[in-house]
Amino acid sequence: MPSATLLGQSVLSGVFIGALYGLLGLGLSLSWGMLRQVNLAHFALAFLGAYVTFQLAAVAKIDPFVTLAIVAPAFFVLGMALHWFFLRFSVTLLNTLLVTFGITSIIEAGIQWYWTADFHRMENAYAAVRWKLGPLFLALTDVITLGFALALALGAWAVLRFTDLGKAIRATTEDAPIAAAFGVNEKLLGFLVSGFAASVAAVAGLCLALNHTLAPVQIYAWMGVVFAAVMMGGLGRPIGPLVAGIVIGVSEAVTMAVTNPTWAPLVSFSLLIVILLLRPARFS
Amino acid sequence: MKTALAVCAVVLCAVPFVGLPAFYESFLYLLLSAIVLATSWNLLSGYSGYFSFGHGAFFGVGVYTTAALAGKLGWPFLWTLPLAALAATVLGVALGAVVFRVRALRGELFALLSLAITFVLSTIALNTVDGGPGIQVMVDMPKIAPTASGVLYLLMLAAAALTLWTAYAMYHSRFGTGLFAIHDDEDVAEVMGVPTYRFKLAAFAISCALAGLAGGIHAIFVSYVTVAETFSIALAVNVVLMSALGGTRHWLGPAVGAIAITMLLYAFTSGNAAVVGRALSGLILIVVIVAMPAGILGQILKRFRREPPARPRPEAILTDLHHAKKSGEPLLVVRGVAKAFKGVQALAGVDLDIRRGEILGLVGPNGSGKSTLINVVSGHYAVDRGSIRFEGEELVGTPAHRIARAGIARTYQIPRPFQQLTVLQNIALRPMFGQVVMDRASAEAEAWRWLEFTNLADKAYRYPGELNLHQRKFLELARALASRPRLLFLDEVLSGLTPAEMDGALRLIRAIRDQGATIVFVEHVMRAVMEVTDRVAVLTYGRAIAEGAPAEVMRHPDVVSAYLGAAHV
Amino acid sequence: MYEVANVAVNYGAAAAVADVNLRIDAGELVVVVGPNGAGKSTLINAMAGLHAVASGRLLVDGRDITSEAPHRFCESGIAIVPEGRRLFVNLSVRENLELGSYRAGARKMRASSLTRVCALFPVLAEKMDAPAGALSGGQQQMVAIGRALMARPKFLLLDEPSLGLSPLIVRDLFRAIQEINAEGVTVLLVEQNVAAALEVARRAYVLEEGRIVAEGESQQLVSQPHIRKAYLGIEA
Repeated sequence: MPSATLLGQSVLSGVFIGALYGLLGLGLSLSWGMLRQVNLAHFALAFLGAYVTFQLAAVAKIDPFVTLAIVAPAFFVLGMALHWFFLRFSVTLLNTLLVTFGITSIIEAGIQWYWTADFHRMENAYAAVRWKLGPLFLALTDVITLGFALALALGAWAVLRFTDLGKAIRATTEDAPIAAAFGVNEKLLGFLVSGFAASVAAVAGLCLALNHTLAPVQIYAWMGVVFAAVMMGGLGRPIGPLVAGIVIGVSEAVTMAVTNPTWAPLVSFSLLIVILLLRPARFS
Repeated sequence: MKTALAVCAVVLCAVPFVGLPAFYESFLYLLLSAIVLATSWNLLSGYSGYFSFGHGAFFGVGVYTTAALAGKLGWPFLWTLPLAALAATVLGVALGAVVFRVRALRGELFALLSLAITFVLSTIALNTVDGGPGIQVMVDMPKIAPTASGVLYLLMLAAAALTLWTAYAMYHSRFGTGLFAIHDDEDVAEVMGVPTYRFKLAAFAISCALAGLAGGIHAIFVSYVTVAETFSIALAVNVVLMSALGGTRHWLGPAVGAIAITMLLYAFTSGNAAVVGRALSGLILIVVIVAMPAGILGQILKRFRREPPARPRPEAILTDLHHAKKSGEPLLVVRGVAKAFKGVQALAGVDLDIRRGEILGLVGPNGSGKSTLINVVSGHYAVDRGSIRFEGEELVGTPAHRIARAGIARTYQIPRPFQQLTVLQNIALRPMFGQVVMDRASAEAEAWRWLEFTNLADKAYRYPGELNLHQRKFLELARALASRPRLLFLDEVLSGLTPAEMDGALRLIRAIRDQGATIVFVEHVMRAVMEVTDRVAVLTYGRAIAEGAPAEVMRHPDVVSAYLGAAHV
Repeated sequence: MYEVANVAVNYGAAAAVADVNLRIDAGELVVVVGPNGAGKSTLINAMAGLHAVASGRLLVDGRDITSEAPHRFCESGIAIVPEGRRLFVNLSVRENLELGSYRAGARKMRASSLTRVCALFPVLAEKMDAPAGALSGGQQQMVAIGRALMARPKFLLLDEPSLGLSPLIVRDLFRAIQEINAEGVTVLLVEQNVAAALEVARRAYVLEEGRIVAEGESQQLVSQPHIRKAYLGIEA
């Protein structure tokens, strides 16, 4: 049995990794739930953002947050372009999965071509900052990730819950023609949501670059877990995937501390399978 | 045709004896392996529409079964192959038995669930059988070819032949037609008599078995088995890509796609080029999905589709639909049937008798429950309360496909034909799964009779999308009739027809009754109801309020009030 | 004034509505009756922009709005209470009502509109935060009408509001509709329940198999054998 400190540290690291799952899941959940598009390319986009951040930091010494200020709007446009593509070719839900997988292959190949399959780690000043919370360690980069995840999830939730725009989005998801009869412009909202989701990928990319070593093959590694978080947390919900992500992260971390680390993936996917079988109606 | 196949077989079998360098034998092996995996995947996912991202899991089970038995325990390698297939099948059936029962788990949810299975199995394999470092599989090869790679080639050739033959046989069988129907509209397929649960499970089992077999052979090919390589997501996605590229609706489509993709990937074998290859396959996937939804083979077949020669029309002998027993007795007895949907009480205790050999008109204002009643009798929905007895047998609680077999048929108000089956196949489906289960040939012969009867014979090989509304309504009718039902529910077959077309339809309906069927005729077009029905029953607010001769019933004060309001009786 | 000129609407390949001409003057309460399958819903949906018009024109106060995008129809002062209510069931009653006033012109007057709706349908005041899907049929119909009123429409289109509701509730609803009309909103009511409809409206059109077959004062129409034949299939 590991010590309380080790367990505590595991829980903490689980929370932080879960926050990143939730951040990646936010964009996915919104576009899946509201636009009926399963965007696998979300992950590749996040990694692309991470690599660009790394590159600019390494080569031009540009602060990652400055890079974000460029990348996020650029990705917003990319998100809108993807939505336009789906509308133009009337791509059905299942086919969005396949098309975005194709896009993922292209982006991943592009990343590998430019940056090679080697691991890259972004050196930055933020990585060095750590605090002590009792016997536990807290890294600034982790806290930044959690901060972004909370801010974006809560922000998205607040917009959906309290603003006219958010209500219009929810209404359009349920019954687009009737919403239109009351003045809601479905196309415009679709572009907004897809653009936002892609910008969130940019933020996730920043957090990835700050905290993790990057390699192209990892794009696929995150896919499964984040999907699990989104499906457990609920499609179209901003906060659910974050909570689910943290639950998964913590249970994985604790499993790793208590038993053989290679059992960890079993946890998230078994949870997912159980949830899918017991309450599938949540996802339709 | 047969000689061509025989020649091909001989040529293919001779390859290992020709003395090719091992590289080419290995390439051919991989080509065949891709064909097996893509084609076996398609048996469930392409035919029935249940897209699985978990094919890699069952392949992996096969790999590890052989690796464990032959590599670790030293069993003779050939004996492990059937076990590899069996292990994958058992797993697939266990999974399918649970998942296919859950109605909401279709489409993208099934895809993701199957993806999750892959991860779970790979973790289990890693921690139990494999232990981490992988398994070395060094075995004695049976001496059926000069080289080891030659042997493997022959084994995979056998597997490919088996797989393609299975795909071909399924495609042309009743089983395959049922799967295609499930693909287009599972609920309607069930109501038409297709045992959807059993068929899905069977297709899944076959698909897994073949994947497991390929896995077993592959364990020997790589000779050193690791979890990361075996359960990689690449396989899962490649089979989807290959099938989509070649065309999922045809048994040969995945093979075409497999050949194309394998050659593409192996044109780029060196380091950097592999990356380009991946990007290119991604681009191809996008283009194919968007521009060629039917895949390469599908597109080619569409372009060069020849109308099969018109069949010599069989004599339109309309024999009795069934041996008519004494008419006038109750055929269907409905008592106290209630059904509510989310706060709306669609049926509130309906009592109704339908007598043998009659045409009963079922009328009532909008929202009175007529369509719901049909849906409930045909098994589309379950009742909340009440009993429905058909010739004495209780129907409540019976699965829809068995109700269909008992001799009850219905049309859909908005025609719901299977879009990807021809008109002939649509009509032939019911006899295939009906009261008297027919094989494909007899079912098609039966279908021809009804094509004649409804004047659709010249449209037999067209697809429903090419018919106009009138023709589609008659297709619905022919579909319902083809199973020679004892009780037929017609749900607003006349709406949208011109007066001339309507007269034709009414004549048809009378002819059907004269053959011995009992008909319940739901309609709004009042003059049609008056002309053709023997009795009329009126539903309002989910209750039957009157039953009797048409003219009397429609003058009854309650009925007039229901339609026009109490003030105007 | 809302004018429908030679309008034809298709449902799939078939013509659901053909060569329809009707006119509603400001402040009127007009009813369109007809048996099932006559095309009433298709017609009213086309007038609200929910369905494309195959030929003919829709004119509001002389302006041709036929080819406007669906989400712009409400700018012309049109609001619809669709068949089957079609509330946003996962949103609360309050949110449904607020969405009614989504368009800029109505948004400013949201608070006063809300008060007005609650005065008209007092029972809704307690149900504001309940999910719309949890209400009874009659209450849902009130919310649907309220939602349309929140748009401050000049023309209120109602598609079979009495569907599936008990006679008592229908009576209350129709009384509310009359009140709304009395306050100056032009109302077009499509109904299958001929009795209730002809009691509230002075002028009516009869639609049968996609065409207007009769038009005139309600009291005259109802005693016509035409209606009895269309609905009941009997010669009066």
